[in-house]
Parts: sequence; C-alpha cells; structure tokens
Amino acid sequence: MMSDPYRTALRYALREQTRNRLAIGLLVIFVPLWYFLLGTIIPADPLPFRFRATGAFIQVNGQDLTFLTAGFNALTLIIGFMFFASTRSGARFDHRLVLSGYSRPVLILAKLSALVVAAASIALYASLVLLVFWRPESFALVWLGYFGAALIYGGLGLLLGVLVSSELAGFFFIIMLSLMDTFFQNPYGNPAANKPFLAWFPSYGPVQLAVAGGFTHVFPTREMLVSLAWFAGFALLGLAIFWRRTRAWNTHGHASVSAASPAAAEAPSSM
Amino acid sequence: MPHALLSARGLTKSYGRLRPHLVLREVSFSVAPGALLGIVGENGAGKSTLLKILAGELRPNAGHVEMDGALGYCPQEVILNPALTVDQHLDYFRAAYGITDLRRANELVERLSFTRYRSALVSTLSGGTKQKLNLTLALMHNPDILLLDEPYQGFDWETYLRFWDLAAELRNRGRSVVVISHLLFDQRRFDALYQLEDGSLQPMPIEGK
Repeated sequence: MMSDPYRTALRYALREQTRNRLAIGLLVIFVPLWYFLLGTIIPADPLPFRFRATGAFIQVNGQDLTFLTAGFNALTLIIGFMFFASTRSGARFDHRLVLSGYSRPVLILAKLSALVVAAASIALYASLVLLVFWRPESFALVWLGYFGAALIYGGLGLLLGVLVSSELAGFFFIIMLSLMDTFFQNPYGNPAANKPFLAWFPSYGPVQLAVAGGFTHVFPTREMLVSLAWFAGFALLGLAIFWRRTRAWNTHGHASVSAASPAAAEAPSSM
Repeated sequence: MPHALLSARGLTKSYGRLRPHLVLREVSFSVAPGALLGIVGENGAGKSTLLKILAGELRPNAGHVEMDGALGYCPQEVILNPALTVDQHLDYFRAAYGITDLRRANELVERLSFTRYRSALVSTLSGGTKQKLNLTLALMHNPDILLLDEPYQGFDWETYLRFWDLAAELRNRGRSVVVISHLLFDQRRFDALYQLEDGSLQPMPIEGK
C-alpha cells in the first residue's frame, strides 16, 4: 500500500542521496575513469575463470573481465559510502521523526525502498558506461550482477551507519572490503584465483552473475540467491539496530491519564 | 482544579551497571493546562536526562510519565536534515504528526520571520534560522504539551521577544509549556519554577512575584 507517510519518507530519502554531491561526482568521474585505467593496464589475454553455475572453467578475455570487476569496485565503494554517510548523519533526525509520531515500520520500509531504487539506478548507470568500453553478451545479466553488488554494499553501508561510531573507520572498512572482495574475484594476477573460499565473499554471487552475462547465456540462479542473502543479512541487521535505537519508550501523543491522578493535587496553578 | 496535562512521578535514572551513577532522584512534578513551568539547573544537574525521559527518548529506572494530549518537543540541539529545505522539513513533519494542512506551520514561519528561507537548504541557513525551524517543528501540530530545551539559544532579541509572545499565547489557550534551561531570565513570565540540583527537583521562588 502506498501510504502518504511512506511516499514522503521515500521521496526525502532519495532526495538526500541525490544531494550528495561527492557521490554524484564520483559516479560521473570515478566510474568511467576506473573502467578506463584498469582496462588499459590489463592485457586482453585469455584467463581461466571458474564459473560455478556449470562448475567448469571458462576461458574469458582478461581485459573484459577486468572491465567488469572495475565496475564492481567503483560502484560498491560509492553506494557503500552513500548509505553509510546518510544513515550515520541522519540517525538523530530519524529518531526525532519517530518521537514525533512517524511509524518506524514505514520509515524502515522507505529506507529499504530508497536503497533498492538507488542500487538499481547506479547499477544501470555503471552498466551503461561499461558499454563504452565493451559489449557483454547479456546486458541484463550484467546489470543484475551490478544491482546485486550495489544492494549488498548499500546494505553494508546502512549497517555500518548504525554500528560504527567513527566516520573514518566506516569509510576505511568499506574501502578495504570492496578492494579485497572485487580484486579476489578476478583471477588476473591473483594468487587466490578461483579458490573455493572466494564463494564466501559478498561480491562472489554478483560477479558470477555478471560473468554469466558477459561471456555466457547461462542464468546462475543459485548465485543470485546468494547475492540476495548477503543483501538481506546486511540490511536486516542494520535495520534491526535502527529499530532498537529509534524506540520511543512511552507512547505519547494521546496517552491517557486517569482523572483521579494524584498529579492534579500538585499541579502548579495556572494563575 | 484542572487535571494536569503532564505529570511525572518518581522519575529515577542512573547510568552504568557496576558503579551506577544516579542522575535523577525521584523527580516528580506536574503541569496544569495553561501553565508555564520553568526548570532551571546547572550543567550536569540532570536536565537533559529528565528531558529525554519526558520526550520518550529514554526509559527511567523507576517512575512514570503521564501525558494527556499531543506532545511538542524542541530539543536543545537543532536536529534537522541538512540535505532538505525548510519546506521539505515542514512536509516531512506534517506526515510524522499525521496532520493534513500546514496552516499553523505557515503562521509560525511568518511570525518567526523566516519566510524567505522556505526553499533554502538547511545546510545554508544561519544558526538562528535553524533554531527557528527547530522550534517550528515542535509547534506546528498545535501540541497540548510543549517541552522546550534551552529554546532561545541563538535567538536575536526580536526573536526572543516573539518567542515569549508565542509561549504566552499557548499558555492562554490552555496548553502546558515546560521550559528547561541552565539560566532563566525573565522569571516573572513563569507560573512556577523548579530547580534541578544534583538530580533532585525543588520548587523555587519566582523573583519579583
């Protein structure tokens, strides 16, 4: 149901993200630059990539694969940063809204919706910019992979926003995790290439999806579910903490009071 | 005697588990309709804790708060969203309070003279204008009970006087107003004064009354 408070909260949650100039600047400059830089460094040699949907190794073009993982790196950093920053700085404001009567489930649903909309849009943008450098087999699957990663890192940003008290620590964590995570998934010059433990990293599912879209016509259902599980884990944990933090212990508004309350006897006279 | 709109009974709060530090000791008071109550206390006397309990942000270890009517709470720190404009704040809180129109909000914006900043982003506003918006958000739903924490910090003289006009008006309309501050000038404007000292609340005489 599209209630008015839901739409209002969704509108302003999205407005807040579009006013994040640093994030917009990074999207406009960093995303294409990162594709370009990593794409020119890595040669177009064949590279064995372990494709889990079929369990077999597929030979991929190392440069094309690097375009994909460069996109992952850039978009996970940016969306993680966006939702970390907005969750952290908006914590007290959200609490004030709840104390003023805003329904917490509605506010949480709106935050989640804003994350889905932002993730879908940023994934679309990153996939479109990718087309400048390379034409994957299936644009839709690449987008889906990017969308999955954007959801996961947006959820992580949200979780860190309610969990981490230091701004620097939060940013550092997102940067390190995104770098490691997306670097490990690409077998190029990577000692951990194609190792089974890589399946335990957040961007494993999305990268498998995007590789399916880049080089095959297979739809890796299991990897899509794994991606959704990471997103659900991060986002639900973050929102559960948000739920706890924004509690209002006395439900004021129209709290009833008995007329025989002893309070009246001590009330200061109104003149 | 009319029954109190707001009453607090035996509010006790301590922080820390191993060596609890008692911040509020059985604080009780009540405010009748049409009364303007001042609570004064030095920093560290427990003002913020008391206010957070009254506003529902914090749960006391003992005691309870009863309210008969809608609450308006103006926190000391301006709690606003820098990425939204003044108008967007009014719209957001309209949804929070579940009210249909912004008549009262518009009137407050006009009376506190910040109409020309309505479409400005909060991040671009001066401290004084932010404070006015902070106050407007607490008043725009015509609350029956008003909790104001250091409400006139950052106001210029004219706004300060307008603030008192507003407070007097609310009082005359039968609302209950509680002002908490470390310094209370103009004590004659209050109907009752309490001093919060070391977590205990004591009535105090009003100068010039």
